[in-house]
Amino acid sequence: MRIPASVQHWIIPVSLLVAWEGFGRMAFLPRYLSVPTLILAALWEVTLDGELFQALATSLHRVSIGFVLGTGAGVFIGLGAGLVPGVRHFFDPLVSFLYSVPKIAFLPIFLLLFGLGHASKISIIAFSCFFPVFIASRHAVLSVSKVLVWTAQNMGAPRSTMFFRVFIPAAAPQLLAGIRIGLAHSFVILFAAELIGSQGGLGTLISDGEDAARFDLMFAGIVTFAVLGFVSDRILMAIRRRVLRGQMIGTVEQAVR
Amino acid sequence: MITGALRRIGQWYSIPLLLLFWQFAITSGLVESRLLPSLGRVWTALVDDLSNGALLFHAWITLSRAAIGFALAAIVGVPFAAAMARAVIVRNLFEPIFFFGYPIPKIALFPVFTYIFGIGSPSKIAFTFLECLYPIVVTAYLAFRAIPNRLVWTAENMGAPRRTILWRVIFPAAMPGIFAGLRIALPISIIVIVLTEMIGDSKGLGFYIAVSGTRFAFQNVYAAILLIGVCGFVLDRILLLLRRKIVHWERDEAN
Repeated sequence: MRIPASVQHWIIPVSLLVAWEGFGRMAFLPRYLSVPTLILAALWEVTLDGELFQALATSLHRVSIGFVLGTGAGVFIGLGAGLVPGVRHFFDPLVSFLYSVPKIAFLPIFLLLFGLGHASKISIIAFSCFFPVFIASRHAVLSVSKVLVWTAQNMGAPRSTMFFRVFIPAAAPQLLAGIRIGLAHSFVILFAAELIGSQGGLGTLISDGEDAARFDLMFAGIVTFAVLGFVSDRILMAIRRRVLRGQMIGTVEQAVR
Repeated sequence: MITGALRRIGQWYSIPLLLLFWQFAITSGLVESRLLPSLGRVWTALVDDLSNGALLFHAWITLSRAAIGFALAAIVGVPFAAAMARAVIVRNLFEPIFFFGYPIPKIALFPVFTYIFGIGSPSKIAFTFLECLYPIVVTAYLAFRAIPNRLVWTAENMGAPRRTILWRVIFPAAMPGIFAGLRIALPISIIVIVLTEMIGDSKGLGFYIAVSGTRFAFQNVYAAILLIGVCGFVLDRILLLLRRKIVHWERDEAN
């Protein structure tokens, strides 16, 4: 008998969860791994007393502002760098040097400049978000097919039309790929920044649970953080599908999903 | 020749310009030197800690951890991606784990890793392995699946055995994609190691940065950032060279 693919998809995740629950209940697993049902209970508990909501709001506040600022700057300057050689030559060396540096390494400097509160987290998230978005937008504009550009110019398109109707649509797929990487970076930085030096937020919820040896609480924070990152990526992908209607037909990605 | 040199200067002027601006900001008293150490102090800190071996020691720790995690992910990830692409059962079992799990910020699991593997190198290497595995597997998998059927059919038609097809057709055809994944994963390995070292360790460049930051020794923070930047750049170049050697039949357009 053949098991349908949609069922096979669930085999590993479900059996892992069942094994976790079973072995956890039988105390075969170390205590720090907790048990899925206890984690759910802890999630419910922190939801009821409002702790989760507060931490979630704090983290979301930081990551959304940081992401928007970094992405905005990255798209704006990246498009500029793609279109204007002068801008490109100014930013290229800086970016190619800083790109390989983990942006979290700048955290001590941002902490000194902006203090322990929101500002330092927002600014370092924006900072690390900027780079992948910048690189993607810059490459996207440069790799727009010359044929498209010439054709539009030939038909007498003014510069604004060129920008909004030729460059932006042609660059959109790569641009969104860069924004997706930026989104992933901003969650990594958010987590690290909240764990290293911070008040409030999901990172603090997790480390508080750790400190109090309430591992169910720690996992509740971890699960919330993972879901937050996952959902925001899904939202971005939904926007992407909407924006790129028709541009994804026949690509490998479409075949896979 | 001269125009080429001029063009190169024209393209690289921004770094010296920024450094000049940096130095000017300090000497003019525009920025407090506590916030921004002078270039001389950064240089002295870099030379001092390089010559007394402190920075070299921490860099060695960081790079060896990153290299082990990255290499493990590559060794496991590429064959695994091939298996996923070629065998339907493996694909059905693992595709959701990789595609569904891809956007989940795995950093959230790091505290759990420190409990399972301890606070030192093993938890960091294991976590780097996980973080690198995702881009390597996903990119290589898409590359394996994008191989045109006619290549495989042609080889089959000419009577090539399965082994030959695997080694002479499928792997070479997927090689550019495999390298694309490796190139995504390489900086991730360094980022993850530095990041986890900053969260908690007693050695490595991440630790060095965190400790220098709390001591307000920002010249040392900048020195370490500079060193990481150079290491990352060199490693990326090595990977590109390797790519050019192995995938010699296809020129990389990006560089």
